[in-house]
Amino acid sequence: MNVLKRYLQSFLFFELLKGLSVTGRHLFARKITVQYPEERAPQSPRFRGLHALRRYPNGEERCIACKLCEAVCPALAITIESEERADGTRRTTRYDIDLFKCVYCGFCEESCPVDSIVETRFYEFHFENRGEHIITKPELLAVGDKFEKQIAADRAADARYR
Amino acid sequence: MSAKPDMSTTQPPDADMVTIEVNGEPLRAKKGSMVIQVTDAAGIYVPRFCYHHKLPIAANCRMCLVEIEKAPKPMPACATPVADGMKVFTRSALAHDAQRGVMEFLLINHPLDCPICDQGGECPLQDLALGYGKDVSRYAEKKRVVHDKNIGPLIATEMTRCIHCTRCVRFGQQLAGIMELGATGRGEHTEIGTFIERSVDSELSGNVIDICPVGALTSKPFRFTARAWELTSHPSISPHDCVGSNLNVESRRHKVMRVLPRDNEAINECWLSDRDRFSYTALNSSDRLQSPMIRDGGRWQEVDWSTALEFTVAGLRRVIDQHGSNQIGALAAPASTLEELYLLQKLLRSLGSSNVDHRLRQSDFRDDQALPPFPWLGQSIEDLESCQSVLLVGSNIRKEQPLLGLRLRHAGRKGAQIMAINPVDYDLAAPLAHKIIASPADMILGLAGVASALAARGKATRDRLPDWLSKRVPTASEQAIAQVLATRKPAAVLLGNLAASHPQAATLRALADLVAELAGAALGVLSEANGAGAWLAGCVPHREAAGKAANAGRNAYSMIREPLQAYVLLGVEPELDCLEGGRARSAMEAAEFVIMMTPFSPASAPTAAMQYAHVLLPLAPFTETDGTFVNCEGRWQSFTAAVRPLGETRPGWKILRILGSRLGQPGFDYSTIDEVRAEIDARTLTPSSNLGERLLPPELRVDTNTLQRIYEVPLYRIDSVVRRAEALQQTADNPKPAARMSAVQAASLNVNDGARVRVRVAHGEVVLDVAIDTRVPDQCVLIPSGYPETISLDAHGAVSLEKAEKA
Ligand code: SF4
Ligand code: SF4
Ligand code: SF4
Ligand code: FES
Repeated sequence: MNVLKRYLQSFLFFELLKGLSVTGRHLFARKITVQYPEERAPQSPRFRGLHALRRYPNGEERCIACKLCEAVCPALAITIESEERADGTRRTTRYDIDLFKCVYCGFCEESCPVDSIVETRFYEFHFENRGEHIITKPELLAVGDKFEKQIAADRAADARYR
Repeated sequence: MSAKPDMSTTQPPDADMVTIEVNGEPLRAKKGSMVIQVTDAAGIYVPRFCYHHKLPIAANCRMCLVEIEKAPKPMPACATPVADGMKVFTRSALAHDAQRGVMEFLLINHPLDCPICDQGGECPLQDLALGYGKDVSRYAEKKRVVHDKNIGPLIATEMTRCIHCTRCVRFGQQLAGIMELGATGRGEHTEIGTFIERSVDSELSGNVIDICPVGALTSKPFRFTARAWELTSHPSISPHDCVGSNLNVESRRHKVMRVLPRDNEAINECWLSDRDRFSYTALNSSDRLQSPMIRDGGRWQEVDWSTALEFTVAGLRRVIDQHGSNQIGALAAPASTLEELYLLQKLLRSLGSSNVDHRLRQSDFRDDQALPPFPWLGQSIEDLESCQSVLLVGSNIRKEQPLLGLRLRHAGRKGAQIMAINPVDYDLAAPLAHKIIASPADMILGLAGVASALAARGKATRDRLPDWLSKRVPTASEQAIAQVLATRKPAAVLLGNLAASHPQAATLRALADLVAELAGAALGVLSEANGAGAWLAGCVPHREAAGKAANAGRNAYSMIREPLQAYVLLGVEPELDCLEGGRARSAMEAAEFVIMMTPFSPASAPTAAMQYAHVLLPLAPFTETDGTFVNCEGRWQSFTAAVRPLGETRPGWKILRILGSRLGQPGFDYSTIDEVRAEIDARTLTPSSNLGERLLPPELRVDTNTLQRIYEVPLYRIDSVVRRAEALQQTADNPKPAARMSAVQAASLNVNDGARVRVRVAHGEVVLDVAIDTRVPDQCVLIPSGYPETISLDAHGAVSLEKAEKA
């Protein structure tokens, strides 16, 4: 009985038609391909792209060199050196992230007690020269300054889930 | 009372022991001990803040509350003595509740900003808050604010973090011997501070950083630079004094970040002197010499090792060919390792010269042949604590060997009588039963008086005493010292660094030996740094390694007084490290070839080395080399490098090994440092400090009528490393060099405090400020050495002072 059924199915191209029906369905369905770069995929406020160091509204850098992000980073991508700044506060003198090592897990952001290190929505970065993959403190602060509005909005949107 | 558990299988019940039960487990305990000591010994954890096993009990934090059967309330484990049959519960609901309650109270006023606190990551309060604290604070009122105090260049304060455990206060009172920190105010208004606005100046002050359970007291040089969790700890040994303190060098990315004590009950317990703790700051300074340099035709140039070695070898060969090998001399810093010192003397001796010495601050070498194989404490460091009487001769033990000073203070607390015969009335932070403060010349008479008082008690000695000694009528204090030494046993006579640099050191040693024999006391010699190791390595002109007799060469003093043609300097900065800096400079300038192995570039030092040296070889300091230090007990302590050598720096033993091979000497092809160490076979040596023969001069000639210089090297000027440790240089122990004298002396010269005087000695003159110093006896002026300002002065002899114009 089974043998006969299988013979008939293959004789009548049943499997082929079944497959083609999927193709046909998608042929007429709504397209989801995004025409990058003209079009962009939507992003969650929790998107984890390029890192940034944030400042307070008065311009003071947030980071207090507690080194929790450095400690938590599973990829050992963060390198911090710190000192006592002239005003007696604890500050970094060096804050490097090796973007080749980074796995964009977001743990650094989670661990930061002052919301200083964050991962922005920005993911379109590239390097042209050797060594550029290590992003330094001034660069990170510049990224922060550039995207601060978006960063703040994203943190606000996510705040109630924290 | 509950039934005793069956003890038949363990040791028999002892009258001194009781049995208690902790969490259902029977434990034996000594009567009178506290519950926390018993639980600690058994490995049962009880949280605590104020209790510290080396400090007296204060019981003021209440973190250690435990439940004790039949007690109505929880009891502090640190202040509850054990009683037979006592039942303790450290983790019952009642105990845990009490501990959580105490934690909540502690956190009321403690800031909750661990991320910016330097103690974060190694903080008992942080750790215990995790175990006993709540997730959310119920406290919403304002927290207490306490202003920070500036207590000096070593300790940073953040007094809002203080939890009033008073560990720091008790440390000062009981161990450092001076109460520099104290609690003022009551209840919430209690503040820890220095009473009046001043710095904490104890030579052991850094220890409060370790014992402070929170971030209230932290290290200033280390402040905010690293976290405990990113540091790698390497066991090492301190090179700065003859104690050989065990320490941990903590590094990050091949940079030494800080130094902490490593527990060793037999040596430093859990303490560390400030000098050992903070000297590392020099190792990261920009002064470090990073590559070999040669001076060819008057110009300095950085070269690679092979060029530098070739240049060195050629230079040495030239001197040997033209002047003979006995025109080469080697001076070694006593802080060098045993292996470096051994290879240095081996190199010199294989070239045919015995001119090798590490005793740079001595001038009297008459008794060389009679000296024991190495300077020995005469007992173990621990035994020092059980001495009943101690006589210090020429020793500011508190600053020279801070941790031995601590042991003496312990001894004093246990009833020992501490006495001193010193040229300066040093504050030893321990009560002195008797003291003789006299000019260097009079110190001899004082000690002779003690000896004659002891001889008068009828004790016989092997020597025939010269007339000046046996006829001397002892003064009251000499009698008293003799009386104490003879009657209170165990007794010890300790010869310090000031005795070694005394102009008649041999006589002083002979007298001390005599006194020790007559009194039945142990004689101890406190050498500089690795002095014991240097003797064992044969880095003295008249002895080879392990005390074998050698064809005597020239000692350090004569090498400077009668200049040679070539010098090999191992970690030495001649002007600052030698007894007579001015003469050392002239000797170096006159030499044809000077090889300097040094961790630091002399360009920045106030020495003229850039003018007289011909080769600079970057030498690894103790954190960058393997090696061995021998302490004053004769204890060999080997250690390995903590970080890799900076730049082109190389360990001393490797430099000397390759120099030996390049000079074509056999026996220099070591592949490991262990092979070097194995060649020094000192197992057959029995430590002793007694002299083979006492050199008591038939006639004593002491000049007691002229004004004399007292020579001392302050504790933060002793070697090239501490001299560059900036934090230490800013401490009160390092005042600006001055001519210190008593008020009477100053009045007789018609000068007052702060005036300028021109100081003239037989060789050299300088202009210094006058400082009135009540510690200095009349007829003396105390002028420190080791400073650029006083380089050119001779160490001993008559001084003339004359008023100079204000600068
Ligand atoms: S995102 Fe993750 S891997 Fe990348 S730096 Fe942060 S913690 Fe490290
Ligand atoms: S966790 Fe935040 S504050 Fe701490 S070091 Fe990293 S970025 Fe700075
Ligand atoms: S400063 Fe530290 S050691 Fe001193 S009382 Fe306060 S918490 Fe205790
Ligand atoms: S440790 Fe017992 S009261 Fe502080």
